[in-house]
Amino acid sequence: MKPGIKIVLSLALLSSLSFGGESFAMSDADRAMYTEMLENNPADILVESGNELLEELVGGDAALAAFYKVTEDDLAKYIAGFPRYIEDFKQVVTISQSLQGLMHKHGHKPFKLKSAKMFELSSYVKSIANGENINIDINANKHIKKSYAMGENNYMTPRGGRGLACNSCHSDAVIGTVLRTQPLPDLSSKGVAVAATWPAYRMTKSSLRTLPRRFQGCMKNALLKVIPLGSEEMVALEVYLTHQAKGSEIAIPGLKR
Amino acid sequence: MKRRDFFKHLGSAAVVAATVTPTMSFAAAKQANTISYKNALDAITGGKSAKTSKSVHLKVPEIAENGAVVPVTITVDSPMTDADYVKAIHILVSKNGNARCLDAHLTPANGKAMLATRVKLNGTQDVSAVIALSNGEFLIATQGVKVTIGGCG
Amino acid sequence: MAKRKSLIKIKPKKYKDGDIVKVSFMVMHPMETGTRKDKKTKQVLPAKYINNVKFAYNGKVITTLNVWETLSTNPVFTTYMKINGKGNLTVNYTDNTGEANEKSKKIKPKG
Ligand code: HEC
Repeated sequence: MKPGIKIVLSLALLSSLSFGGESFAMSDADRAMYTEMLENNPADILVESGNELLEELVGGDAALAAFYKVTEDDLAKYIAGFPRYIEDFKQVVTISQSLQGLMHKHGHKPFKLKSAKMFELSSYVKSIANGENINIDINANKHIKKSYAMGENNYMTPRGGRGLACNSCHSDAVIGTVLRTQPLPDLSSKGVAVAATWPAYRMTKSSLRTLPRRFQGCMKNALLKVIPLGSEEMVALEVYLTHQAKGSEIAIPGLKR
Repeated sequence: MKRRDFFKHLGSAAVVAATVTPTMSFAAAKQANTISYKNALDAITGGKSAKTSKSVHLKVPEIAENGAVVPVTITVDSPMTDADYVKAIHILVSKNGNARCLDAHLTPANGKAMLATRVKLNGTQDVSAVIALSNGEFLIATQGVKVTIGGCG
Repeated sequence: MAKRKSLIKIKPKKYKDGDIVKVSFMVMHPMETGTRKDKKTKQVLPAKYINNVKFAYNGKVITTLNVWETLSTNPVFTTYMKINGKGNLTVNYTDNTGEANEKSKKIKPKG
């Protein structure tokens, strides 16, 4: 069975914008309509709710800035540099992990990384950096350097039952080709700027999702081993893809199919 | 199980499958509303005819990439004064088990006659905007939407 | 009764008396059609959808929406309104199971 599936897949990857002879490419006008929907993204409700959570838990942005040891003025720029190595944690952390630390410091039991509340809280915190450009620095220290290398390796290395890597479906060679009516997205292009547009509302799931959760979706669908949220490997993947989107303007929450 | 997920996501890729099968059917409903397009239109207009008009601007995507969330925006050219305004904007669809989506009852206090929302489409079909004017007339605009993945994909 | 998460947005954010502004109301609501089956239990999920939304500006109803289950999950409704003095915009909404909720936003025209 396996070889058969591989052939199916490579055919799918090669097929361009056609479906039973019919074109399924979206017109520019249609794309514009979907872009317009961003103006009223249901996830705005959840980002707002994340704001309320932060206020309830620690009092708001000021406490967050204090926790990050930056001024409130510098908070947005600082957030735009995640994932980053933080000395107190002795490791490279994502925004969500740093918020677990914040909650702990303020005497709260931290939300789980996969909990809806953490999605809301971390989405709000990332949205503080809306309008800033991603400024992750993978040369800042040896820890993040190492994490980047690990992420790149994870991204490129074929794994799982079908011998696929993230790069099998998201490399320059195949992006834009269509897999079941879905164009394969170029995760590093400035246009998609994946790291700048997640957390996002997924219309097919009617819910707010984070980037690592999206990775897990691809891992499941492509039969790659699902890497746990918060693991060194998962953080490394986020570091790798965030660096690919470096310089892109952050716009949270995104809106995805 | 895993394998089915795989196919759900990519196995039924363009070249392989000849048709996209909607995963659910509104028609199989037990307690769901079943209102046909014709009955819905008659209920709104009271049997009067609705004229197509250039002043009704119905915006829907030609191709919806996800039938569960299809944006619909309707704008009507109208002064929105007490003497001349749009009383209602109705959204109907031709093929869902229930043709009715939304009625927006407006007043001159809206200032502008516009309504935007998102509908579920259980397959390729027409979306219509039926407009009730304050003078008792009805206008209509209709446009087709091709749905690539069914309503609850 | 579940308190629903919802949001009212006004665009542009700054406006003055006489301006016609875009108003969006969005709410987390399943908009369950009554035809879908629960993936695990295989039971048909009972219909649960918003059926009425009222926008009132300082107590006066300016827009009423009748809504069916055919709208998307977590629905968004956008209309316009003419700014006419400071006060409150209140959105009252009900669903077919009798659940009723309210959300409001201060209207503060400048200049
Ligand atoms: C078998 C092909 C395949 C593999 C392997 C794959 N993906 Fe994907 N990926 C897709 C497709 C197709 C989409 C778009 C799906 C959609 O629009 O629903 C996608 C979407 C994504 C997105 C969302 C892009 C956006 O629009 O914001 C991210 C992030 C992503 N993939 C990351 C990964 C990562 C990380 C890996 C490796 C762990 C991976 N993918 C492996 C096919 C694949």
